[in-house]
Amino acid sequence: MTDDERDDESASSPAKRDAVKREADRRGDGRRVAERSTTKVRAAIRAELEKDEVAADAETEQVDAPAEPETVIELDHVSLAFESPILEDVSLVACKGETICIVGESGTGKSTALKLILRLLVPDKGRVNILGQDITGLSFEEALKVRQRMGMVFQGAALFDSMSVFENIAYPLREHTELDEDEIEARVREKLQFVDLEPDRVMEQLPSELSGGMRKRVGIARGMADNPEIMLYDEPTSGLDPLTTGTITRLILKLQRELNVTSIVVSHDIRSVFRMATRVAVLHDRRIAFFGTPEDMAASDDTYLRDFLGGN
Amino acid sequence: MPSLTERLANVTKSKLRTVQEYFSLAGRAIGFIFVRPFYMQDFIQQMDEIGVKSLGIVLLTGFFTGMVLALQSSVQLKTFGATMYIGRLVSASMIRELGPVLAGLMVAGRVGSGIAAQIGSMRVTEQIDALNTLGTDPIKKLVTPRVLAALVMMPILTIINDFVGICGGNLISSLLVGIPSGLYWRTVWEQIASDGFTLHFIPNDFVQGITKPFVFGGVIAISACYFGLNTTGGTEGVGVATTRTVVLASVLILILDYFLTQILLTVLGT
Ligand SMILES: Nc1ncnc2c1ncn2[C@@H]1O[C@H](COP(=O)(O)OP(=O)(O)OP(=O)(O)O)[C@@H](O)[C@H]1O
Ligand SMILES: [Mg+2]
Repeated sequence: MTDDERDDESASSPAKRDAVKREADRRGDGRRVAERSTTKVRAAIRAELEKDEVAADAETEQVDAPAEPETVIELDHVSLAFESPILEDVSLVACKGETICIVGESGTGKSTALKLILRLLVPDKGRVNILGQDITGLSFEEALKVRQRMGMVFQGAALFDSMSVFENIAYPLREHTELDEDEIEARVREKLQFVDLEPDRVMEQLPSELSGGMRKRVGIARGMADNPEIMLYDEPTSGLDPLTTGTITRLILKLQRELNVTSIVVSHDIRSVFRMATRVAVLHDRRIAFFGTPEDMAASDDTYLRDFLGGN
Repeated sequence: MPSLTERLANVTKSKLRTVQEYFSLAGRAIGFIFVRPFYMQDFIQQMDEIGVKSLGIVLLTGFFTGMVLALQSSVQLKTFGATMYIGRLVSASMIRELGPVLAGLMVAGRVGSGIAAQIGSMRVTEQIDALNTLGTDPIKKLVTPRVLAALVMMPILTIINDFVGICGGNLISSLLVGIPSGLYWRTVWEQIASDGFTLHFIPNDFVQGITKPFVFGGVIAISACYFGLNTTGGTEGVGVATTRTVVLASVLILILDYFLTQILLTVLGT
């Protein structure tokens, strides 16, 4: 939300608004920027959705598919409290190849929800199913096994600061695969290129020598190094410039389309949420306030949702 | 406001839980020494970090402790006309007590705080979560190499500490007291031999002098890892974790030193 607000602010002076619009047009996605009324927001969102033809194709395919979509991630009436209740009766389902976006105000427990999926936390009530397996009752070692099938991009990247970028990305490969050194290096280069980083420039650097955006992208590269079936992203675009945000959004889409990866993305950036999400979950007041397609969300008359979308 | 007894009960419960968690961490860390994969590189790096890099302060403190021991005992022994026994006093106190305890305290300050700060900042920057996510047990990857390295390096550091301490005693007794080096080293050996031998060739003094640092090394590394892993509250929490580590490790070293001495004296029959 903060990013969005900042966008709106910067776009409020007419000169700047023009500049932003021109920039957006140049990039081929001339839309929203300064529209403020709800209808305009909805129209912009619809345009956005239509524009991404490939995405639309992919989605229709999915809808038309006769077989029951396979459930990959399921939060089943989950509750969790630390000192005070954080999540209450939260249910969420992600099917194979879906990208679910979780949005919500700061501190509503979005990162906590991802940690439940990774079984870094265990719910007080309810169950978490991953790939058909109930992970709430697993032992520590069994949980490690399940986690290997997931890739996580942490809010602060969480790169190992004693290791070089290369070693960071190679880490999951060294831990779980039998790849030899050459194969590992090839894989690291491939992933770095995937996130638009020059392998030869960054590979030997330490995380502390990188910019925040670069660190985030290395975090993404590490998360997907082992080609996991599930990717979880905790605010992959917060604090990044619009161009990098676009790059990362495209990247998440690319993973979904090319590799049919199931993703859960926590994001404050409504624009990229509408570009990526097959369904959106809105966390509000410890509960899921909305769970449905972006179109439904845009069409909803719920005051909170409309406020959230920047309708007024 | 909960009643006093209620609060006392809660505090006791949480303290007991802490103790339980501490021992469970120790158990798992040591158990993992025998479970694959073993993180050899981390182990070697920690031996360097804990052992080699602590050599400087251990040499310095050991040497000066030996010197001051010689100085003090020369004053005492002079009243009995027994200054020739300086070597006995210096070696007995160095090997049995001061060597292990001082090396332990120095390492607790230097290494314990370092480990707690490193693991603590890994905790608050979610690197521990990342390790878990990438399918690695953080205890196996972080705690086991540190504990094992401390178990190996503490006795070695202590032996070095003892040795330079006795050398320092030699320096002072020959320079200021006028005891020839040959006599000094002969009384040192007499002292070591007089306490008897375990298995016919290991001097009992050495058994004491090695068992203690072995235990102290474990205490330092496990305390540091425990507080590091349980860090909460951002960077400020890292500072708290380091302080607690140094305090707990130092206090435990001094307390355990007493009980170990008592046990060892009984077992070794001196
Ligand atoms: N380990 C913990 N112990 C106690 N409280 C916690 C812990 N982790 C999170 N919380 C609390 O849970 C709430 C939700 O935290 P969480 O990090 O999930 O929020 P978030 O939705 O990701 O927020 P943001 O958008 O700012 O990242 C916060 O109020 C936080 O104080
Ligand atoms: Mg968060």
